[in-house]
Amino acid sequence: MSVNISNRSFRPYTGEKARITRAYDYLILVLALFLFIGSFHLHFALTVGDWDFWVDWKDRQWWPLVTPLMGITFPAAVQSVMWTKFRLPLGATLCVAALLIGTWITRIFAYHYWNYFPINMVLPATMLPGALVLDAILMLSNSLTVTAVLGGASFALLFYPSNWPLFGMFHVPVEYGNGQLTVADLFGFEYIRTGMPEYLRIIERGTLRTYGQYAAPLAAFCSALLCILMYTLWWFIGKWFATVRYLNKI
Amino acid sequence: MKQLLIKCMVSLGFILSLYTLNIATVMAHGEKALEPFIRMRTIQWYDVQWDKQKFNVNEEVSVSGKFHVAEDWPVSVPKPEAAFLNISTPGPVLIRTERYLNGKPFMNSVALQPGGDYNFKIVLKGRLPGRYHIHPFFNLKDAGQVMGPGVWLEITGSPSDFFNEVKTINGEVIDMETYGLGNGIFWHLFWGLLATAWLLWWLRRPLFIPRYRMLEAGLEDELITSHDRLIAKAMLVGVPLLVLAVNAMTISEYPNAIPLQASLDQILPLSAQVNAGVVDVETLKAEYRIPERSMEFTVKVNNRSENPVQIGEFSTANVHFLNKDLQAAYQGDSTTMTAFEGLSLENPAPIQPGEQRTMTITARDGFWESEKLNGLIRDADSRIGGLLFLYDSVIGARYISSITAAVIPKFN
Repeated sequence: MSVNISNRSFRPYTGEKARITRAYDYLILVLALFLFIGSFHLHFALTVGDWDFWVDWKDRQWWPLVTPLMGITFPAAVQSVMWTKFRLPLGATLCVAALLIGTWITRIFAYHYWNYFPINMVLPATMLPGALVLDAILMLSNSLTVTAVLGGASFALLFYPSNWPLFGMFHVPVEYGNGQLTVADLFGFEYIRTGMPEYLRIIERGTLRTYGQYAAPLAAFCSALLCILMYTLWWFIGKWFATVRYLNKI
Repeated sequence: MKQLLIKCMVSLGFILSLYTLNIATVMAHGEKALEPFIRMRTIQWYDVQWDKQKFNVNEEVSVSGKFHVAEDWPVSVPKPEAAFLNISTPGPVLIRTERYLNGKPFMNSVALQPGGDYNFKIVLKGRLPGRYHIHPFFNLKDAGQVMGPGVWLEITGSPSDFFNEVKTINGEVIDMETYGLGNGIFWHLFWGLLATAWLLWWLRRPLFIPRYRMLEAGLEDELITSHDRLIAKAMLVGVPLLVLAVNAMTISEYPNAIPLQASLDQILPLSAQVNAGVVDVETLKAEYRIPERSMEFTVKVNNRSENPVQIGEFSTANVHFLNKDLQAAYQGDSTTMTAFEGLSLENPAPIQPGEQRTMTITARDGFWESEKLNGLIRDADSRIGGLLFLYDSVIGARYISSITAAVIPKFN
């Protein structure tokens, strides 16, 4: 059951009522910000984890596959609520911005000040370009199907190119120990992680480089396909949470 | 009621303050946590030495030593097909600049061969001042961390003096502490500002309740204006174009970028150092006497060398039991877990060339308990392993045997 307000009887709130609803907006926004900083950050740390923590985990196969796939979850759910109930096309951007706030706080205070890692070794990736496009597609299409297919795919496909300007320079080769490493690999070798042996890295495994060694585009397209499905799944999870069953009068 | 609450709070505060008076730095990092049969029958460390234990920020320190990969590798532990020679530190208070296995530098993980002998060297550089307990150790894939002997290192100086410059293959010298940080912050700020602008565009107007009411009233078209649509269209086109353009610029700026390197290093063992075939030792029986905290081995020694030999040391899981008559021959670090009179022999007379002798040796010390090695008798795998050191005093040679046996507990 939801509230039915007829077009003819609709009167916008004015005066005290308008002021209270605006105060309610701010209250919800602040709460939502902290909620998403905490919950999305936790979800991301548990699922993407080391791929986002360390510069020497950001490979061309698993990093662009896993990160958007796990990163589209909360944006899809929050978009579902924000769009279907309020026509606010900002769910994805809000979630990813909240995630980045949480991530930067952790990287600076937990990784750098507490555990002494240089911040450039734990620089987070960004998904904001994909989130902006996802919000724009939802608003312009007003369609779950179009947003899932075009938006979900764009979210995955934009991830690697939008992060290469941040991390490309860490892939410059270095001659070290009679072999070649990237600068990123050298971070992993030099800056000691007792609980993170090199063999734990899940990077460059599998046969995604079959087509002329183009691993990153193949991983991105694979992720795009999966993101379409993941977006749809989490849209319905968001919808399930956004019930107005108990709302009688407003 | 209020007074009772205050009393409770004061009492709680007092109790908590007692804890804060007794805060001590954690001195261990789980070196005794792994099951004893893994610590004793996987990586058998010996002759581990640090070249110094007090040094400045930016100064280098090295640890070198040897290890034998036990032949009697536990069946429940995966074979060491990927192992990583690491250093236990509380974060990167030191950086690792060089690492060698059998004299060969290696950067990644390595496959070890059971029965193989290896020597190693790790060069570290002081980064953050402090006093730290440090071990060399092996991360064994799917098994855990097998610690080598630990020492206290003291790093002096100022953390701001630390620098770590590396030359790339193109000849550019980079500072690893700050490389790419400014660029990363710039891009995060750039996209962050764009996202903030998009969010503020929507948040500046009435949000939840008014919009919900309008949506319910069928006034959906009024919620999205033509300006909103225009901005969204611009974003839809502009963001991907910008991403692709900047990506192309980065590709052209770093044309020699390579993928992360993920190969497994292949380094063959040395020629046999342990069980080298000159002096053979076979363990016939091992009994652990719980009240005495002593392990009694019955061994058969076959001396095929040309000189008499004597048993001088039994070493397992970094604990050294020394024969007091042969302490001078001991080559390990005497500050570590060493029982200087911990090894006694049933027949201390030298074993003559060509002699085969069956004898009893006893390793007795509280280390069995304090190092949690006596837990072996309650494990599913209760076999012991370790290195037995025999010395030839005529030519100064040392023979090492990796011995192993099932342990029989004696409770009384």
